[in-house]
Amino acid sequence: MTLDGKVPGGPIEQKWDSYKGHINLVSPANKRKHTIIIVGTGLAGASAAATLGELGYNVKSYCIQDSPRRAHSIAAQGGINASKDYQNDGDSDWRLFYDTVKGGDFRSREGNVYRLAQLSGNIIDQCVAQGVPFAREYGGGLANRSFGGVLVSRTFYARGQTGQQLLLGAYGALMRQLNLGRVKIFPRREMLDLVIIDGRARGIVVRNLITGEIEKYEGDAVLLATGGYSPVYYLSTNAVNSNASAAWRCHKRGAYFANPSFTQIHPTCIPQSGEHQSKLVLMSESLRNDGRIWVPKEVGDKRAANDIPENERDYYLERMYPAYGNLVPRDIASRAAKRVCDEGRGVGATGRAVYLDFADAIKRLGEQVIREKYGNLFDMYENITGENPYRVPMRIYPAPHYTMGGLWVDYNLMSTIPGLFVLGEANFSDHGANRLGASALMQGLADGYFVIPFTLGHYIAGAKLSAVNTDNDAFKEAVDNVQKGTQKLLSIKGSKTVREIHRKLGNIMIQYVGMSRSEEGLKKAIEEIKRIKEEFWTDVNVPGSADTLNKSLEMAGRLADFLELGELMARDALNRNESAGGHFREEYQTPEGEALRDDKNYSYVAAWEYKGKEKPQELHKEELEFEYVKESQRSYK
Amino acid sequence: MQSWATVIWSSVGRKILSAITGVILYLFIMVHLLGNLQLFESSPDPFNLYANFLEKFEGIITIIEIGLLISILFHIVVGTTVYINKLKARPEGYIKTGSAGPPSRKTISSTTMIYTGIVIAVFIIIHIITFKYGPGIDEGYVSNINGTQVRDLYRLVVETFSKPGYVIWYVAAMIFLGFHLRHAFWSAFQSMGWTNPKFLPILYVAGVILAILMAMGFIIIPIWIYFTGGAV
Amino acid sequence: MSKNITVYLKIWRQEGPDSRGKLVPYTVDNVDPDMSLLEMLDVLNEDLTKKGELPIEFDSDCREGICGTCGLVISGIPHGKKKGIATCQLHMRNFKDGDVITIEPFRAKPFPVVKDLVIDRSAFDRIIAKGGYISVNTGSAPEANLIPIPKETAELAMDAAACIGCGACVAACPNAAAYLFVGAKISQYCLLPQGHPERKIRVRAMVGQMDAEGFGDCSNHAECQAVCPKEISIVNIARMRREYLKSLWP
Repeated sequence: MTLDGKVPGGPIEQKWDSYKGHINLVSPANKRKHTIIIVGTGLAGASAAATLGELGYNVKSYCIQDSPRRAHSIAAQGGINASKDYQNDGDSDWRLFYDTVKGGDFRSREGNVYRLAQLSGNIIDQCVAQGVPFAREYGGGLANRSFGGVLVSRTFYARGQTGQQLLLGAYGALMRQLNLGRVKIFPRREMLDLVIIDGRARGIVVRNLITGEIEKYEGDAVLLATGGYSPVYYLSTNAVNSNASAAWRCHKRGAYFANPSFTQIHPTCIPQSGEHQSKLVLMSESLRNDGRIWVPKEVGDKRAANDIPENERDYYLERMYPAYGNLVPRDIASRAAKRVCDEGRGVGATGRAVYLDFADAIKRLGEQVIREKYGNLFDMYENITGENPYRVPMRIYPAPHYTMGGLWVDYNLMSTIPGLFVLGEANFSDHGANRLGASALMQGLADGYFVIPFTLGHYIAGAKLSAVNTDNDAFKEAVDNVQKGTQKLLSIKGSKTVREIHRKLGNIMIQYVGMSRSEEGLKKAIEEIKRIKEEFWTDVNVPGSADTLNKSLEMAGRLADFLELGELMARDALNRNESAGGHFREEYQTPEGEALRDDKNYSYVAAWEYKGKEKPQELHKEELEFEYVKESQRSYK
Repeated sequence: MQSWATVIWSSVGRKILSAITGVILYLFIMVHLLGNLQLFESSPDPFNLYANFLEKFEGIITIIEIGLLISILFHIVVGTTVYINKLKARPEGYIKTGSAGPPSRKTISSTTMIYTGIVIAVFIIIHIITFKYGPGIDEGYVSNINGTQVRDLYRLVVETFSKPGYVIWYVAAMIFLGFHLRHAFWSAFQSMGWTNPKFLPILYVAGVILAILMAMGFIIIPIWIYFTGGAV
Repeated sequence: MSKNITVYLKIWRQEGPDSRGKLVPYTVDNVDPDMSLLEMLDVLNEDLTKKGELPIEFDSDCREGICGTCGLVISGIPHGKKKGIATCQLHMRNFKDGDVITIEPFRAKPFPVVKDLVIDRSAFDRIIAKGGYISVNTGSAPEANLIPIPKETAELAMDAAACIGCGACVAACPNAAAYLFVGAKISQYCLLPQGHPERKIRVRAMVGQMDAEGFGDCSNHAECQAVCPKEISIVNIARMRREYLKSLWP
């Protein structure tokens, strides 16, 4: 099957407008007759639910959290990009589009990205009208900062809590629709299966996380906005409950999973302190503006940082990349840190960390200046590590924090299952092989506020939807499927805890399918994952029962899916014999050690089709065409 | 839209009522204390004249008394409602309790408002029976000042405060009043929304100082009279 | 490297909303001071699982103090003694070897216990639903820079908007009042000009819902601002009360 992205024709600037002018519309009177199921209440899910409620659809919104306001979008710190050009520095839709395609290392779909750039300004307007307290200049206008190595200042922010403020705006809009009776909210519900009737997505099966009851809901379309899958690495910057299960179960029902190996590892995170660690905390990339990154020159040098004399330190980024120094892009900084730690020169108790040293900056600028610039980050670091970064260098290490891959969608955001739409981080569409900073929030809100209202209407108006209800056999089959899965997990009663096995999976994933990958490592990973999967299904111990709140059971179900997804990630990485963005294959690098793309053979989206239990997924390709942005090689020397 | 009764009797509305009535009572107590300070004069006459002077304006005084009575009743009803709601809002309490410390303003004074309030209410009843409805001219408590017969309230005060039991009770009640007023002062401003970050610490300190002054003022009088027998 | 410690825990266990709960003692040895308190509970839960006992259920998600999911009363203080952090940001180095730590759920009638340390805070959502937003439909927004907003105003609004909705203010309040939560939201929207058209309806509706949920009255103990992970000030409560008074004028 050839995958059709369904990008409308015409010049790129006009595609979206011309699309909107030609689509089918649902009459206002008919909208309330259509029930839309939306899973996830992050930026994409909440904005979609609110907007569709406003339009008059009958919306049902589900989340695993106790309140829609707690979705993990809330943790985004830095900001949101928009091509407003308030700084008069030459920004435009075109430049945002260009930066995003290039930043994604030419593995995204041009039409989608241009639409994203076009909508970016509307998002800011919408959020300001909602009362999002963005940072302002003394004149009362909105403030911007530059971010993520682009040449213009286009990032809007609300202190270090931009994601929180945007989400609370969308959540407020959602709660307003709840109050008006157009949206029903189902918190503490975990989607465990998708129901397909007559070839269309028509409902979901969820587990009520409080009572354990398996519940069925029917609808005319299902929108998945369930985020990414970074916790496949066990330790990531994601929330501990972030998971891929809803997306994965849709994959098993026929939705193709695209580019699963495209994951982003953020260079400046607080390193793991021990086996007990449950998550990693990210610190703003801006620290690299003044901090110098180094490790000891000697392998196994266990002296305290301040006891190591200057000439025995290796400022490796400055040495390897004299032009950009400590400010090389995320993927390059991350890989370099991994390399020096692999050499045995890592610091700290675990040896998996490098120093980020502010001593020079403090000497040059004074402690007060540093405190003003980074005080809150330094406090956060001290709270977590117990070390004072004004006195001893910070220790940092890269951590998984975003996944560019996800369920395949076309220009309408519809997956390969008719009626199943995928929004935000859960889909694969806009960031290619690498996401630029401050673009995740932009994509989530563009999808939810401004794209899905049109594309969903187009689908609903065009589809001949028969009436269905939850007595349908397909629902019964899905419920049985879920219940069997749950019972199976509870019946194993082995000797390993869910966390133990998840940690094992995470170790394999980060080692072989993390920052740098090789054919040999990936093959090993596939074998190891299979072994861990076997161990899981024979020796896991899930305590408690299914008819009550049982977090161990929730975690076990999610891990079962991560085990399958992890294998697919490794296979996708193995298939892609090139390096692109966050996907770095050791065999494919320039003599200087930079990522070497193979545009001739791999300028495609790898979309994987599920073929059944224990059978390998089948690869489908969506060829990518670059009409507007010329493919080029990055260099930061 | 809610009815006006609901709006006024909301938790915010109640608290504003509590603040307004509290301010009225606070002002009354201040005036009362200033009047009482005349007990320190070298003769009973100024105090008795003052008491007599007030009785001359019976009409206005009655209106003020009714106002005070209404304030007290509202204050009590609101205070009791707050207390009952508190019990309802946390039916199962903590096994281990604590305070996070500053900037918390939780003190023994703030957490005992209901109890100090009850003591003060009982005190007020006894106080009114003892003095307002106590023996007057007919019972022989007469003083002759410049040819006019006035009630010798001074003598009643001195006699009352010569009883050690009464003095102890009175002093104790005034300590309770001090605690009540300590939290009351800044809290009234906060309840009416008349605070800002700069003003708040000043109010808080002022509340403490005023409470100490007021309590001390009321406490010194009976003790001084007990030990000295007053001006006579 | 600091030495590992032993702590003695007393943790609230409660099977369900209607069952009676009690404190159960647990000893955790070999606690790495670099662990967070929740990670220490994770470790304890793994041990319990291996021993065939039921793990202790508690809520937590982002583990970096922003989602507002976690919330435990640690020896009498919501989110623990350390200032300006959520439970998930509390590390074991703040405890000494041999410490007894009592862990209870947030307690208030509108926050019923679901199981062990997990509570139901949907009352907060219902309060927000009554007016914790500006009624603007998608697509109808004017150009973002149309209304200039003074930097100071934006900063004050952000101070209030920083609320993570964890409910520690309610848990710490001797009266179980929700004033800091509601006051912060009201403040955000009465400071910003976008919030002005609905200000009267908003403050009355949200206060009305807060009362209907069964939260207690505010007695100005200000314990809320001392436990708030975002250190939101009770000045926001005063502002809400002003806003309420203003709403009484025509």
